[in-house]
Amino acid sequence: MRKDEAMTDPESNGPDAPRLRPVVRAMIWATVPVLLLVQLLASAGVEASSFWSQIRQLDARMARVAESRAELIAEPLWKMRYDQVTGVLNEIMHDETIAAAAVYDDTGAAIARVVARSEGPSIAEVSRPIHYSNGNMAAVQAGRIAIAYSHAALYANAGSRLVLLLVVGLLATFATLIAMRISANIFIGRPLAAMMSAIQRSKQDGRAYPAEVKSSNEFGQLARAFNAMQHTTSGALDRLGHMAGHDPLTGLPNRRSLTERLAVASRDGGRPDALVAFCFIDLDDFKGINDTFGHEAGDEFLVQISRRLRTSVEAEDWVARLGGDEFVVIRPEVSNEASAHAFAQQVLTAISEPIRLHDKQVVPRASIGLAVRRADDPELSHLPTLADIALYHAKSKAPGTVAVLDEALQRDYRRRRDLELAIPAGFAEGQFEVWYQSQVDLESQEIVGLEALIRWRHPDHGVIGPAEFLPLIERSGNNARLTRYVLTDACWALQRLAAAGRPQIRIAINLPPSELADHSLAAELRATCARFDVAPSLLELEITEGSLINNIASASQTLHRLRRLGATIALDDFGTGYSSLAHLRRFPLDKVKIDKAFISEIPDSAEDKAIVGVIASLAGTLGLTLVAEGIERAEQAEAMREMGVRFGQGYFYQRPQPLDAVLHGLEKRPAAETRVLADSPPIAPEFA
Amino acid sequence: MTRFLRLLLAVGAACGVFAPAGPSLANPPAKPLEIVFINPGKTGEVFWDMVAQSMQAAGRRLDAHVEVLTSERNYRTMQELGLGVVARHDKPDFLILSNEESAAVPILEAAEAAGVKTLLLSNTLIGEDAVRLGPPRQKLKTWLGDITTDLQTAGARMANALIATARAEKWQSPDGKIHLLGIGGDEITPASIARNAGLKLAVDAAPDVVVDRLLFANWTQSEAEQVTTNYLGWASRKEIRPAGIWAGNDPMALGALRAVVAAGLVPGRDIQLVGLNWSEDALREIRAGRLLLTDGGHFLLGGWSIVLLRDYADGCDFAAVSPRVEVKTSAITRQNLDSVRDLIKTRAFGRIDFARFRAKAGRCGDYDFSLDALISSLPVPEGAAD
Repeated sequence: MRKDEAMTDPESNGPDAPRLRPVVRAMIWATVPVLLLVQLLASAGVEASSFWSQIRQLDARMARVAESRAELIAEPLWKMRYDQVTGVLNEIMHDETIAAAAVYDDTGAAIARVVARSEGPSIAEVSRPIHYSNGNMAAVQAGRIAIAYSHAALYANAGSRLVLLLVVGLLATFATLIAMRISANIFIGRPLAAMMSAIQRSKQDGRAYPAEVKSSNEFGQLARAFNAMQHTTSGALDRLGHMAGHDPLTGLPNRRSLTERLAVASRDGGRPDALVAFCFIDLDDFKGINDTFGHEAGDEFLVQISRRLRTSVEAEDWVARLGGDEFVVIRPEVSNEASAHAFAQQVLTAISEPIRLHDKQVVPRASIGLAVRRADDPELSHLPTLADIALYHAKSKAPGTVAVLDEALQRDYRRRRDLELAIPAGFAEGQFEVWYQSQVDLESQEIVGLEALIRWRHPDHGVIGPAEFLPLIERSGNNARLTRYVLTDACWALQRLAAAGRPQIRIAINLPPSELADHSLAAELRATCARFDVAPSLLELEITEGSLINNIASASQTLHRLRRLGATIALDDFGTGYSSLAHLRRFPLDKVKIDKAFISEIPDSAEDKAIVGVIASLAGTLGLTLVAEGIERAEQAEAMREMGVRFGQGYFYQRPQPLDAVLHGLEKRPAAETRVLADSPPIAPEFA
Repeated sequence: MTRFLRLLLAVGAACGVFAPAGPSLANPPAKPLEIVFINPGKTGEVFWDMVAQSMQAAGRRLDAHVEVLTSERNYRTMQELGLGVVARHDKPDFLILSNEESAAVPILEAAEAAGVKTLLLSNTLIGEDAVRLGPPRQKLKTWLGDITTDLQTAGARMANALIATARAEKWQSPDGKIHLLGIGGDEITPASIARNAGLKLAVDAAPDVVVDRLLFANWTQSEAEQVTTNYLGWASRKEIRPAGIWAGNDPMALGALRAVVAAGLVPGRDIQLVGLNWSEDALREIRAGRLLLTDGGHFLLGGWSIVLLRDYADGCDFAAVSPRVEVKTSAITRQNLDSVRDLIKTRAFGRIDFARFRAKAGRCGDYDFSLDALISSLPVPEGAAD
């Protein structure tokens, strides 16, 4: 891999990257020395063979010279004309290779001797007999001729030719090297460089650049294959890029495209004074559609919504799906906030047209968070966040509407964020306080119980109610912690109540829905009670209908366990939610708390009275104890008592207070413990 | 016509029609002869000078005028001289030529055309010329014949003298043989070839004798000295005892003599040498005992040729025996040295009575040109003749 990187990026000469070694140079290094060596060896071989052949030729020539001289010398030697012998011998001395020559007669005496030069190196000698004959006598050996000759000239010749061959070989090698370099550059270097350049350019912007190689050789084929591959790769990259930026289901741009779009808009937006309308759309209860019609129908639903969104906006508007049931519509130019709002409303209307799913009419519902910013606003890229704030507001306060981001919403958002961030510190510094509001026996006016209500004494924002921060606690995953915090405080409060002579007063704790799924809750409750030496039967656990709906089985199990410990179970806020009668029957409930919404209009509202009456009659039938919440006036308390509601709770009796204040108030009132205890159903703990 | 008349005149002369009364001859000479001799040698060349002198001496004795033209060893000159003579208005009776280097052949042919009678002296036709022209008086009618020397016999005589001395002195080498050195003049001229053949003839007949080498010294003394020195060195290395040196002429014998002396040998005591030519220096060395003999006397061919022509002109044709007359040479040793020494030294050939050598009547062609006959013809010691 490193090699490949080095190939594609020759500039990356990092310490780990191997240094670029051009193939042309490597080829030259691999071939030229071999060529030179072979050339030199071949030259030397040819020269050596030529040299030996010349040596042999010289030897043969000298032998011939000796023989011919022997013939010429035979007669003068035989006839003892030694001067003539010397003369004939002298004639051969013009031959430069001959160093010396001598003629000996048949007695071995030197008759003639000529020396051309003093004996040098590499002297060879040839000797031939001299035969004489004439018509009168048979051939006799008259003597012998000896010629000493030198190979030095041949050696010198061979040496100079070797030097010449070396020079020629070097020149030839040099010429070959040049030719190789040029041809390798033309046939290898250039095509490679062209492809490399195409790769470099395409690396810069991801587009396909063909390598300009015209040749028809292997490199030409390689370049064509390379170009075809680049074309294919580029198409795949384009598709990949499109997929990365678009939602495969609806074909709309996705969140990633949104980020890029906003970056582009903030970089080169239209007129600086133009306004950008950003609608953050969230479909309400899309989960229900999935659950009811199946996921395929859910997808079909999303596709239809996206089609509607696209058809309901102008060409210059921009629609995206961020995922799930979240959509975004951006109108790049609106004249003012009002027209932006009208646009959002128009989108909402378009969405809300009925859709047929499985031959059934479904009316889509959506909430829209609208944020409007000037095109040159530096916070343009934050538009999704801002619109989300508005959407949050819409969904939490008025689902199915358009919420426009304004200063108040932003403030709320900032406050929410502040609180969310401060939760860990809140726990650590004990900023959470448990206040208690008394529950009163409407007959005897005795305080029979206390509801533990959490408060957050924030160092900056003061005391904050649970309605504001409990969603934050839940979102930050601190429900269990807070529950245990309250449980511990309640047990401690029970201990103190007992100590204050009020051991019959019970304390009710609100259980968030998530806690019902926690199997360890019962055990922890028992352990905590044991720690503070209080009876679990003094604890009352308040749940909402909503928490039952989401996980019926697990909630039921948990409630049974808690009940076996002796705790009582109360259904909180009854009447506002599902108000399912089945729930009242299915779950092990002891109490039902009537929501204060039904109390506030009593006794003036006959309807509310009727509802409360029905509830009371139902509870009576089912053996459930009723508690009325939010009693603020005496006549309300009186009306409840008349309708058979046993207990009441509200500002009429006592506002939520810290425990000390509650204890202080209790001190002023006489205790009536027997009644309260009798009122409590005797449930024997199955495990103690 | 002219030739016929001349023949008639000659026959008449031979028959003694015109012959005057002579003191010792029955038929007196008819008329004086005109004879021209083209001398191939140089002026001062001993042999040819002596040939010409003996010729002229004989002419004076036999009523013949001998004109000597010297070609100075230039054969072109020789031919020019010969052709000039043939073309003369007053043609001579006889033209004597020597066929050295075959240069006389054109002159012979021209003389035939001109009707001039010719005689070849010392060197006759050889080789292709001899084949082409045949024997005398056939194709060339005017070519009367030739007078030459028997040099082969001379060579053999010289060798035998050496062998005899060596045998007597027991000069055998360790191998038991008598070792001789031969020095020839050259290998091509008939005069040299004949002498060398004589040497070979003699040695072949003597199984106890070997000629180590026959060396050639171009007739000169210095070269003979050189080759002799070389031979003596070689012989000593071969542990050969040289017993004699045979030289083709006197100068070479004298050169060999100098080499022998230089080699520390004593001539006549350790080794013997022979030469040929009757030269004065040789005679001196013979007298000193350093040279065994010198053969020769063939310079007298000049005189003998006049004798032949005189007889021919007088009607006694030598062709009665043979147109080719071969004269034997003779050796001069210490024994006969004194008889001829003065003759040669003074060249007083006039003292020879050439008339005594003419053919006797009825015995034409029968001549005795021996040394003994010569000595006896000399007038000095009165009682020595016969």
